[in-house]
Amino acid sequence: MKHKNLVTILLLFLLAGTNTSAATRATIENESLRLRVATNAPQPISAFYEGRGFQQNMIDILKQQCFVSVFILNKSDDFIWLDLSQWKFKNADGEITRLDRHYWRTRWKEIKIPMAHQSTFRWTLLPETLDFYPREKEGGNIILPRTGKPFNITARFDTGKNRKGKPIIMNINNITCATDK
Amino acid sequence: MKILYCILTSLYLSTFTTAQATELPPGVIKPAPFNAPVLTISDIDGTPLKQSDYQGKWHFVHFWASWCRPCRREVPAIQKMWSIMKNENMALAFINTAEDEDTIFSFLSVHGPELRALMDKDGLATEQWKPRGLPATYLVDPDGVVRYQALGGREWHTPAYLNFLRSLIKQTQ
Repeated sequence: MKHKNLVTILLLFLLAGTNTSAATRATIENESLRLRVATNAPQPISAFYEGRGFQQNMIDILKQQCFVSVFILNKSDDFIWLDLSQWKFKNADGEITRLDRHYWRTRWKEIKIPMAHQSTFRWTLLPETLDFYPREKEGGNIILPRTGKPFNITARFDTGKNRKGKPIIMNINNITCATDK
Repeated sequence: MKILYCILTSLYLSTFTTAQATELPPGVIKPAPFNAPVLTISDIDGTPLKQSDYQGKWHFVHFWASWCRPCRREVPAIQKMWSIMKNENMALAFINTAEDEDTIFSFLSVHGPELRALMDKDGLATEQWKPRGLPATYLVDPDGVVRYQALGGREWHTPAYLNFLRSLIKQTQ
């Protein structure tokens, strides 16, 4: 009986650990770079874009997605390159395809979203590419399809003015899309 | 000997002044120069921006939006800078990206009441300048060439930046 209780307690502990190990935010840094990510729940995303006067059909599409706010700080004295085409997103089912600017441009054109709202939306996204000057910082959103499963991010940054320096690779594991409480 | 001393002193001082003029304050970069895209926009009252507003002057071109947190932090600094620099030979284009009149008016009435807000209503003028992000500041020389950019928001009202702006004006006078 004692043994059974011990096993039960251990299982419960493990399950609890599994449930809390996936996080909605993480920061990773080394001597050259700080990378911070945080996923946003649908309600604050809706509220933000409603505040910008976006129409309801646009908001309905956006709140179904997984918004990942990213902040990058170049701590070094050299150039560090952001190139989102070199980032990978993966969950237990395999690779997740990021919904990039081209995707959204096409989507918004299909449903005839006004240019002003398209423009504002694009400015809330993380740039596709950027050569971070020494000590430059920048932030923005990456948008993934919402899958309900924890996912990993592998972020690769080239270095040097000509992108020929030693690359920096950062892995952020077990991130989960935030949900409304 | 005295003449030689005077010549050497003048040379030294002119070198020092030139070095000061080209010293960039934190976060201001000098990328490859390019011709500034033409701005075909109007202000919040519908008055178009005219070339005569900035021709022959250094032009401080700034793009912003009220929802952008670094923009909100920087607007008071630009307000203060402009209250000092407006009587010097410099022009300011303070351009809102893709917001409506009510939003701009509500925001600026609190944070930048003396700033003339130009409106890029559909966001396309902003995109022509290819900003690194918002806020974005460009310094355009009197010949219409972009010479400097700022990385993110800057404390334009502080001595390092004011002296830099003045040095640009002085260079071309």
